[in-house]
Amino acid sequence: MSYKCSRCKRDVTLDEYGGVRCPYCGHRVLLKERSTDIKEVDVR
Amino acid sequence: MDEDYEVEFVERGDRKALFLVRGVTPAFANGIRRTMIADVPTLAIDEVRVIENSSVMFDEQIALRLGLVPLTTPPAEFDEDDVVTLSIDVAGPATAYSGDLVSADDMVQPADQNVPIIELKDGQRLELEADAVLETGKAHAKHQGGVSVGYRHLQRVEVVGDADEFEESEPNIVRGVVEIDGELVDTAEFDNDLTQKFPGKEVAVHDVEKAFVFHVETDGSMTVEELVNRATDSIESRALELEDAVSL
Amino acid sequence: MELTVTENLEQELRVEIAGEDHTFMNVLKGALLETEGVAAATYDVNPEQSGGQTEPILTVKTEDGVDPIDALKTAAQRVQEKTDAFRSAFEQAA
Repeated sequence: MSYKCSRCKRDVTLDEYGGVRCPYCGHRVLLKERSTDIKEVDVR
Repeated sequence: MDEDYEVEFVERGDRKALFLVRGVTPAFANGIRRTMIADVPTLAIDEVRVIENSSVMFDEQIALRLGLVPLTTPPAEFDEDDVVTLSIDVAGPATAYSGDLVSADDMVQPADQNVPIIELKDGQRLELEADAVLETGKAHAKHQGGVSVGYRHLQRVEVVGDADEFEESEPNIVRGVVEIDGELVDTAEFDNDLTQKFPGKEVAVHDVEKAFVFHVETDGSMTVEELVNRATDSIESRALELEDAVSL
Repeated sequence: MELTVTENLEQELRVEIAGEDHTFMNVLKGALLETEGVAAATYDVNPEQSGGQTEPILTVKTEDGVDPIDALKTAAQRVQEKTDAFRSAFEQAA
């Protein structure tokens, strides 16, 4: 899972032990990055 | 019974035209009108593959906006199952316009170049691929070729005498195109008010039987002439199909 | 267009024309009423108590000695005469 820290804008990878916290600046708000998969959308 | 029709153009442009048809029944006029709106197929984007969308709008919203962009649809070139691929790649700061769509088929282009899709700020980007398909307006309004199609009964205006001298004058409103002394006159010329055209006169207004003034506007996917012809073809092919079916 | 005949009598024909709507049915009805030997012609796109029937049902009644199927055929040809005449009139003006 790749995230981006909302304060220092660095890429963050979360593991199951570290909890939700940026390892660089300690900020607790992380933003999830959009997947690079191509998304198909039906036009309605 | 012989069919004796007569067509006369009042205003004629690629996308907008006004013409008078004489001799048709109301049923036939309505059939042509409805066919132009709902039964003449046009191309429109129906599926979108989003590669990157970091804009402020959801993929679905962008897709909807792309679907509504009119695409030129040359007559007799496409079948119901054909797919035309288009792509767009715009990086901010810029506004993505319909004109930024790149088509795989030269015949299929956005009818207007300046339809805004979305405004992109610095660092935002829109990159996607889209499939356009041929469908009728019945299936979805984005496939409507005729966007403003209607008709009025032609009205004949005759001066029948002088107006009562001491009568309070009231406006006498008519709209569209009327026939005055055998001439077709746009009522906008006299502000739609017959008392301005004929001050102090008493006039009579009658519907002219079997005469209809059509107002046809297209979304740019084809010209008015093509639209009318394809509507006519559509009714004819259905009548032929019915004839074949009952001939067995 | 899918035809299903639900009643076929000497002077009356009832047929379901699936896939069509007012656009074509009204033109066809108009042509039928102009056809010789047709006593009555009508269509209904949503007959009452039909259990959700929404395909148009055409009813044609004819005068003595006229086959309603022939009348329907004549009317279909008539519609084509109309479209032909309209197309040439339009092309002449265009």
